[in-house]
Amino acid sequence: MEDLTWLSILGRAFAQFWPVWLALVVTFALSIRYKRHLGLYGKLMDSTVGLFGLWIVLFWVFTALFADLIITHDPLAQLSGLKNAAPGSPLTSGADDLYPYYLFGGDSRARDVFSRMVMGSRMVLQIAPAATIFAFMVGITLGLPAGYFGGKLDTLLSFLANLVLAFPVILLFYLLVTPEIVQTGIPMYFAAVLFVFPIIFFVVLFNSRFRTNPPRRNLLVAITLALGLWAYSGLAFNMDPLKYLIGSPVFSMDPNLLNVFVSVVFVNSPGVFRIVRGLVMDIKARDYVAAGQTRGESPWYIMLWEILPNARGPLIVDFCLRIGYTTILLGTLGFFGLGVSPESPDWGSTINDGRRLLSVYLHPAVVPALALMSLVLGLNLLADGLREESLKD
Amino acid sequence: MDNWDPSKPILEIENLSISFFTRAREIPAVMDFSCTVMPGEAMGLVGESGCGKSTVALGVMRDLGKTGRITGGAIRFKGRDLTTMSEEELRHLRGSEIAMIYQEPMASLNPAMKIGAQLAEVPMIHQGMSKQDAWALARQIVADVRLPDPDRIINAYPHQLSGGQQQRIVIAMALMSKPALLILDEPTTALDVTVEAGIVDLVKALGEKYGTSMLFISHNLGLVLDVCDRLCVMYSGEAVETGNVEQVFTEMRHPYTQALFRSIPLPGADKNARPLISIRGNFPLPHERPPGCNFGPRCDYFEAGRCDARDIAMDPVPGDRHASRCLKWTEIDWEAPPAARVAKEKLPMGEVVLKMEDLKKYYSVSTGAFGGGTTKVVKANETLSFEAREGETLAIVGESGCGKSTFAKVLMGLETATSGHIMLFDENVQSTPIEKRNTDTIAQVQMVFQNPFDTLNPSMTVGRQIIRALEIFGQGDSDADRHNRMLELLDLVKLPRAFAERMPRQLSGGQKQRVGIARAFAGGAKVVVADEPVSALDVSVQAAVTDLLMDIQRENRTTLLFISHDLSIVRYLSDRVMVMYLGHVVEMGTTDQVFAPPYHPYTEALLSAVPIADPHVERKRIVLEGEIPSAMNPPPGCPFQTRCRWKSQVPGGLCDTEMPPVQKLADGHQIKCHLSAEVLATMEPVIKVAAE
Repeated sequence: MEDLTWLSILGRAFAQFWPVWLALVVTFALSIRYKRHLGLYGKLMDSTVGLFGLWIVLFWVFTALFADLIITHDPLAQLSGLKNAAPGSPLTSGADDLYPYYLFGGDSRARDVFSRMVMGSRMVLQIAPAATIFAFMVGITLGLPAGYFGGKLDTLLSFLANLVLAFPVILLFYLLVTPEIVQTGIPMYFAAVLFVFPIIFFVVLFNSRFRTNPPRRNLLVAITLALGLWAYSGLAFNMDPLKYLIGSPVFSMDPNLLNVFVSVVFVNSPGVFRIVRGLVMDIKARDYVAAGQTRGESPWYIMLWEILPNARGPLIVDFCLRIGYTTILLGTLGFFGLGVSPESPDWGSTINDGRRLLSVYLHPAVVPALALMSLVLGLNLLADGLREESLKD
Repeated sequence: MDNWDPSKPILEIENLSISFFTRAREIPAVMDFSCTVMPGEAMGLVGESGCGKSTVALGVMRDLGKTGRITGGAIRFKGRDLTTMSEEELRHLRGSEIAMIYQEPMASLNPAMKIGAQLAEVPMIHQGMSKQDAWALARQIVADVRLPDPDRIINAYPHQLSGGQQQRIVIAMALMSKPALLILDEPTTALDVTVEAGIVDLVKALGEKYGTSMLFISHNLGLVLDVCDRLCVMYSGEAVETGNVEQVFTEMRHPYTQALFRSIPLPGADKNARPLISIRGNFPLPHERPPGCNFGPRCDYFEAGRCDARDIAMDPVPGDRHASRCLKWTEIDWEAPPAARVAKEKLPMGEVVLKMEDLKKYYSVSTGAFGGGTTKVVKANETLSFEAREGETLAIVGESGCGKSTFAKVLMGLETATSGHIMLFDENVQSTPIEKRNTDTIAQVQMVFQNPFDTLNPSMTVGRQIIRALEIFGQGDSDADRHNRMLELLDLVKLPRAFAERMPRQLSGGQKQRVGIARAFAGGAKVVVADEPVSALDVSVQAAVTDLLMDIQRENRTTLLFISHDLSIVRYLSDRVMVMYLGHVVEMGTTDQVFAPPYHPYTEALLSAVPIADPHVERKRIVLEGEIPSAMNPPPGCPFQTRCRWKSQVPGGLCDTEMPPVQKLADGHQIKCHLSAEVLATMEPVIKVAAE
């Protein structure tokens, strides 16, 4: 068989993404149809920049979701004769049940670059948003009281945040991921501390809101605690009670993944903390906050239900940007070999693998690099669009 | 420009229309607006927010931004049409021939440049003056705007000056190139009344001295009467009445102007015998204007089929260039007393519910950057004593920094008093912070806030916010019960029940303020602190909100503590008045006692500073010199001695050294002043209503 031309490579790649196109068309059709009822998201449909950003981001989200349908080969399988094969190379051994081409070529271990790139999106989109959400929980839970109460608490927390921000990030990662450090259990302690915050956040949220209605308050707090602690035991200590009861845990995290996850949350939280603190200091001077105070509301109710919802605009924008940073951070980690596992197809590791033969074979590194770039670009454009639209009336 | 004839109008606006173009639609902001300003004349533009008065000013400057466009008409300045002028030509005009003064002085000054440099820039750019001459001119103009010590001022940065001084500098800057036309957009709204009085006097004097024509934009009718020769009343993008100030004020010929005057508290208005009449309904949104007369739906003289049939043009009225945009002005009996006026019964006062004794609130402030430096004590409230009875309205009057907000905080329990007692229904709450107060006490003392745009949480529905207050005050047994009570509260503040599902941004300022009132009364409040509840609202809405507060007071026998700097409204609605200055109560008594001599010298100045929109009222002008001293660094002796005009009447320089004693004059009337009873007795009334 002949090598494919560039045009047919792109055509075949395009066809391979059919579930993504379908999902995108459905999503956008629905969004535009109902945009008047969708608040800020609906307004995004009027902004070209935001729409473009959203399009790219959703493209990768759907790619990650439907990765199993899109890939042409097993991302870990090595096929003979396709080591560093050029894009569009046909398979040499004529196995009938395999896709007949390596669309974007093969890498230095004769694996399919296209399938690895598609699978890599799954790795990135699993970790980056989750880690960012955790970072937000930590940052919000600490930033609210720091901004609201001020004084010594603020000085202390801000000092700690500056300390973390001032520490070189890469060095911190090396330290956290080094096997010797891992053996001392430090990452697990980090996880133990950081993973507590979401539980605190939700318990305080429900407690302050339903203080006047104890039965409902107790119910919600109990549910939060039960679910939270269950997930906590599994994620932070890998001791999901079900592991001992029925043998297979619901919540668990690969130790390598845990290290990366904890590190990303740890370095992102101080940034969120500072933004939240600043927003709170601004909003707490408003009359509706004073009205809450004169009504005898508890400080946490005011922080979580009066102040936080009104800080959401800048926080949503920051959330998008921060997922982008986290994606880059994960790429960097993978590039330095601090990634999830050596075999994994995440983009950072793949770029690093391709780097060695970059001057000869460009494609194994360029394809994941473009993927990484486009996702981050999409997130930044989306954040821009959101910011622009949230300012308009 | 030289061939311009000075007997012709300096500014002639003819059928001007301005629209803003948004994504959704074209929004007409100004329609068919005409006015003429003769040389040396001061023209007032009056109207409520959103009526398009600032848009006219920006249109004259051709500074309408990306979305605004002049869609019709002409603006002729000295005979040249501004609407067709190129950017280059406009640049020569702006700042040199036409100058503009904005509301917020700090925003008009460059904080990184010295005052002198900012002022000198103007003639250096427009007339190519040398730097030395320009600075000399700057110094002279600074002296002209009556700022003390001009040499120091021109070398200062804007933040080193007070708000009033900054506004004087902005005026000086506008005058640097001796403009032919000065546009003032609410120049004193951000300032205190006594400072405002000084600025107004200055603007008038400068207009006479330099012969500058003025376009004076304000929502304050009294101010316009003080400053302007002619005025133009605007409503919803149109001029509805224009003419000579005196004539429009006494013989108005448009129902909106009449309604506006009936809704503002002039001397003689009384909450029981002659209550204010609010304009019903709401200001129409620019894209929802009614057909025909814009004021139609809110007008008492509305005639269906005629007023809403077609667009109405300005119709000349006999008199000095007087015109009205009303079809029926010849038919209406303008002298007839308003029909809607219902006299109400005076509310008898009950038991003492709130009693303060020698309340003191001090703050300590450290001046060093790193916690070092000296610690200063700010005396925000000094020996405050008073009682308030059930059903009584006690007004607390004073300018910014007088300690009235601190007092409210202490009463609410957001701060605790340094010493003294606060007795609320025989319960001492003085040192009980709000967290330790029980629900009943909290529910009984509630507050209505000043800024309607800030008083409601923007991300919660109106109903939800009222229900939350009910929950917190332990009202109602179930969610359904509380929901019903919330609807009843909306009825109480005369809002439609459908508003429960609305978000605050869908409400107008007055409606938000009503929700704020409903929320304050959720727990059956007995004492309500109203912190300038209407000062941020438009005049026509003010009357309605004030009325509502008093109706609720009548029904619930609430004690109202009304904090305000607006003496007209205070005179209208309060039973007793307490005047504060720098943390001290300088005068207290019934409303009649405080508003008639003998006055405390500060009360006298305050009374004379408030503009009154009634040409029959004669007012003595007392303009206070200097600025309000900082509470961080109060003067020794009497706090008011730095600005007092009666100081020389006190023998032995007592004012400089000793805090004045509280003099008890008539029954319940007290004054904190060194002036002897004889001197006090010689005081003349500040406001005289001329016999009609």
